[in-house]
Amino acid sequence: MIFVGLASIAWSAEANFSTDHIEFFEAKVRPLLSTHCYECHSSRAKTVEGGLRLDARPLVLAGGDSGAVVVPGKPNESLLIKAVHYQAVEMPPSGKLPDDELAVLEQWIQLGVPWPAETPATTTEASNSKSYDWDKLRNEHWAYRPVQRPALPQVREVHWPQNAIDRFILARLEAAGLKPSPPAEPRILARRIYYDLTGLPPSSEHLEEFLQHSIPNPQSAIRIPQSGYPRQRVISNVVSRLLASPRYGQRWGRHWLDVARYADDLPHAWRYRDWVVDALNTDLPYDQFVRLQIAGDLIAADTGSIATGLFALGPKYNSDGNDPDGIAKAKGETLDDRMDTISRGLLALTVSCARCHDHKFDPIPTLDYYSLAGVFNNTENTDPETGLHALKDSGSADMPVALRGNLRKPGPVAPRRFLRILSGADPPSFTQGSGRRELADAIASPHNPLTARVIVNRVWQHHFGKALVRTPSNFGALGELPTHPLLLDWLAAELVESGWSLKHLHRIIIGSAAYQMSSHRDEKSFQADGDNRLVWRMNLRRLDAESWRDTLLSVTVDLDEHLGGQPTEDILSRRRSLYLKVSRNGDKFATDEFLRLFDFPLMRATVAKRPSSIVPQQYLFLMNSRFMTDRAQRLAQRLEALADNDQDRIHQAYRLLYGRQPSPEEQEIGLAFLEGKSLSSNQQPLDSNQLPQDYAQPDAERKMTPWQQYTQVLLSANELMYVR
Amino acid sequence: MHRDPLPPLNRRHMLHRIGAGFGTLGLAGVMHEAGLLAPGAAQAATTSPLAAKEPHFAPKAKYIIQLFMPGGPSQVDTFDHKPEIKKYAGQRPKLVDRKTLRNTKNGLMPSPFGFKQYGQCGKWVSDIFPRVGARVDNLCFIHSMHTDIPEHAGAILMMNLGHLQPNRPSMGAWLTYGLGSENENLPGFVAMSPRGQPRGRLANWGNSFLPGVYAGTYVNIEKMKPDAILRDLQNGSLSLQQQQRQIQLLGRLNRLDLQRHGQDDKLESSIQTMEMAYRMQMSVPEAFDVSRETKATLDLYGNSEYAKGCLLARRLIERGVRMVQLSHSIDSEDIAWDTGHDDIAGGHAKLARACDQGIAALLIDLRQRGLWDETLVIWGGEFGRAPTSEGAKGRDHDHYGFTVWMAGGAVKPGFTYGATDRFGCTAVENRVHVHDLHATILHLMGLDHTQLTYRYSGRDFRLTDVHGEVVKDIIA
Repeated sequence: MIFVGLASIAWSAEANFSTDHIEFFEAKVRPLLSTHCYECHSSRAKTVEGGLRLDARPLVLAGGDSGAVVVPGKPNESLLIKAVHYQAVEMPPSGKLPDDELAVLEQWIQLGVPWPAETPATTTEASNSKSYDWDKLRNEHWAYRPVQRPALPQVREVHWPQNAIDRFILARLEAAGLKPSPPAEPRILARRIYYDLTGLPPSSEHLEEFLQHSIPNPQSAIRIPQSGYPRQRVISNVVSRLLASPRYGQRWGRHWLDVARYADDLPHAWRYRDWVVDALNTDLPYDQFVRLQIAGDLIAADTGSIATGLFALGPKYNSDGNDPDGIAKAKGETLDDRMDTISRGLLALTVSCARCHDHKFDPIPTLDYYSLAGVFNNTENTDPETGLHALKDSGSADMPVALRGNLRKPGPVAPRRFLRILSGADPPSFTQGSGRRELADAIASPHNPLTARVIVNRVWQHHFGKALVRTPSNFGALGELPTHPLLLDWLAAELVESGWSLKHLHRIIIGSAAYQMSSHRDEKSFQADGDNRLVWRMNLRRLDAESWRDTLLSVTVDLDEHLGGQPTEDILSRRRSLYLKVSRNGDKFATDEFLRLFDFPLMRATVAKRPSSIVPQQYLFLMNSRFMTDRAQRLAQRLEALADNDQDRIHQAYRLLYGRQPSPEEQEIGLAFLEGKSLSSNQQPLDSNQLPQDYAQPDAERKMTPWQQYTQVLLSANELMYVR
Repeated sequence: MHRDPLPPLNRRHMLHRIGAGFGTLGLAGVMHEAGLLAPGAAQAATTSPLAAKEPHFAPKAKYIIQLFMPGGPSQVDTFDHKPEIKKYAGQRPKLVDRKTLRNTKNGLMPSPFGFKQYGQCGKWVSDIFPRVGARVDNLCFIHSMHTDIPEHAGAILMMNLGHLQPNRPSMGAWLTYGLGSENENLPGFVAMSPRGQPRGRLANWGNSFLPGVYAGTYVNIEKMKPDAILRDLQNGSLSLQQQQRQIQLLGRLNRLDLQRHGQDDKLESSIQTMEMAYRMQMSVPEAFDVSRETKATLDLYGNSEYAKGCLLARRLIERGVRMVQLSHSIDSEDIAWDTGHDDIAGGHAKLARACDQGIAALLIDLRQRGLWDETLVIWGGEFGRAPTSEGAKGRDHDHYGFTVWMAGGAVKPGFTYGATDRFGCTAVENRVHVHDLHATILHLMGLDHTQLTYRYSGRDFRLTDVHGEVVKDIIA
């Protein structure tokens, strides 16, 4: 269907052939081509040999890698005829055609290559003439329409909303007949806020302070008018303090490094990582944050270059031989990494899909892919001797479309300019150097409908566990629709008006009643909306690898919190997990292995969302790793110093780890475990003949005390691994 | 200790029971007693991402052993006999005048090895593979393989990922994603090699954008200590009995947490997974313990490292592991068969000697144990080598044509499909691209390669990308 339009364009200029000639083609030529040529030279070929297709007239005339193969009316000058005569090359390779068939082909070319008007199978070559109605397309899909700040919806439960966000959330819930969950109990809420902003739990002192200032019965909060609500003031104070803490940048820097598919393979990579952390800590406006990462070297050569690590540190694909196809493919893949990172990461558009053919679902022609790729084709990396990896311009030339993604098959030249779906039918060409500066401005513009929407959606995802657009790196036709489109636009507008301040965004999100809801599962709501698309509760989230590891170090007061510097390969290091060394392929360092085990994604491409898998190998780590037994020993040691009997120590352990008192039952089974008593009347201890042969008994020297065994269990519990 | 082999039909069933049985009673008993097993919790294990899944249609095979030969074994010196090379030795006929990686311009070089006919089918096989040769009536040869480029890194990835760069899931990850595993106490996909890993390393068994649970688990078969098989498989400071108490306590605490906050499927399954991890500590060392085999079996395989891998591969698929990728390597080489560049006679003979007996033993063993019908064995490298010479005694890469053979109940026995030209250079008859091979393998496993998709970065990916046609003619 897509190609109906192009067919009429492509064929309007064709010669008209007589019926006789068309019949001659159908009776003699087409069967011959089909029998002898199409296995390798048509849409049905597994690999189109020599870039030549003979199944449509324009393709026949276009020729292949070695140029034109037919000259209409001149069989003697046509390479095709030479080939079938086994003169230049030998075609078909299975054997020379009989003379009468050679004569048919000569006559066909003599007649001017007659062919009936028909629609050729999908071809990149032809599709460049496809026409797009840009104004219409920009209006058809939500993501391309301009951001407009919507009016706040009316709600019935007027006391629930704490700010504008809640009006949007509540209006949808009320329309669906659902109620928001009650507020989370203060202990849970404090933990949630601390993890969200810093990636670390509150210390027990901070937690106690928070609890003292919060009202005792959160259930009654719903009826307290907004203005006099002390809980909001307490929360607001904590949020301000955490946003001002350098831990904030360490946390949110990591979220950005996922988008940036950051890896430590290059020696000075960490300087870009530190730049990101610092930029977030100083609340560098997001538009400038983006601009510097694309063209920092051109904006502020002294300080901005480092930001271009977003691309300068990207994977460089290599070819390990001197095969020209291999080299071209590796170069194409490297360029595609840049396209993919900039388009999915910043714009949530899958521009990469247009590398070989016009995007099948979104209005992104192949020509536009190479309009952007041309910018990076004129860019190279600086010499790492300067102590950092950065971009610099190397030229100012447009690049040709690579037919079917093959750089060795150049097509029409693509002018360097921004995507037409975002900037209109005839965007100005980039003229300064590579064009990166102009590209950066086009992306960081408040008029770009995607940039602000994409980042507020990512921020929302990290606060709620699920984004408003649940495909955060694809806002195109195959992406999901926003669950709350008006809220998304309100947030995007708010971000831009605040001067692109991410810290402002955190404040309003955390200040909302929606954010402060309990994660408790209400059966009626669960039946109606099990996926929580309407946001009737907070989502339960497992800590990511870094937060979980940092937590284990932090509860034993061993966490080394200093900012920046070289990454470490030592899993036993006390540094924050942000500084664990990561390789592009995820297979180089012991730290890779640990992080990957807990769903740290492969840094080969921009990451939209981390998975949360539960696999047995994770529990092998909990049960047996040196890291865990070390932590268990340290915690046992700390508890020993804090109290002098088992009962009090159990209380201290629950306070330090979970910020609460143990229940009588937890207390009881804890004591039973420590005293070596049975945990259950029905316990069936492992029979020694069930043990594997040659099972190595533990080293007597390294035996763990009952307390160490107990703290290992407490550290492995779900309560420590999940945020509610 | 040697045990009598179980009757073939019950054997796998029995091994599964043994593997799954360890320690379950203890924990499940406790939870039942405490009324802690939620309704449906017994099924929670089957909703794990590794649980066995229904294929798209009835499969011809259920398990795969891939005998991967990185570096590019030469077809005309192994299984694609071309006596005409001798007639035109030193000449460079048009058919073989094709561009190779190193632009070699030499003439045809006859194989330094003799060839004999084997079996009922009379297949000619090189003298360097006498034991595999003796099994030709069980093998199904594809002589018309071809691939995209003549470089190792790219072509190896093409063979194992269907893509020239390492940014796609491996075939084993796709299979585990599509079919799950039949033994949840073992990884669903195991990759093994003696010391040297094939070039591209992790990518060859990696999950890329598929969930991590589908990644192959790599085992270096040189060192067989349990801790080298899976990391953190054993605790040096705690006995299994002590750990059992810990697991019981942790289960109780996690259940109480669940009761306090209301039901949640993820937390529910985390408790099952923890229990499984505990059992893996016992099932994994057992599965990898070849000393439990009879002397007759050990003798059949012989002593080479590769043979040890073949025997392990059999033990693993016998226990329900979905796919084993066993890469060949000697001297820690990542592309061992590339010795062909300068010395076919020496290099290829040495490599074949290191794997011939193990491979033949595996074929015999699979038949004897009733595993033949369900197992698909695949032998081959990433490309072949040119019939012309490089230097005096070697051959350059040849991606225009090479040989892969398969074995097992799923494919026609004693059968040859496709052909290279008369000198063995280019696949000319019934050409099979690597994508077609992948489509065929998935088909034999009951999966439609166009339907086995995963949505990532806004589009549906598949092992075969937009290519691949099932080679129906080789299916038994």
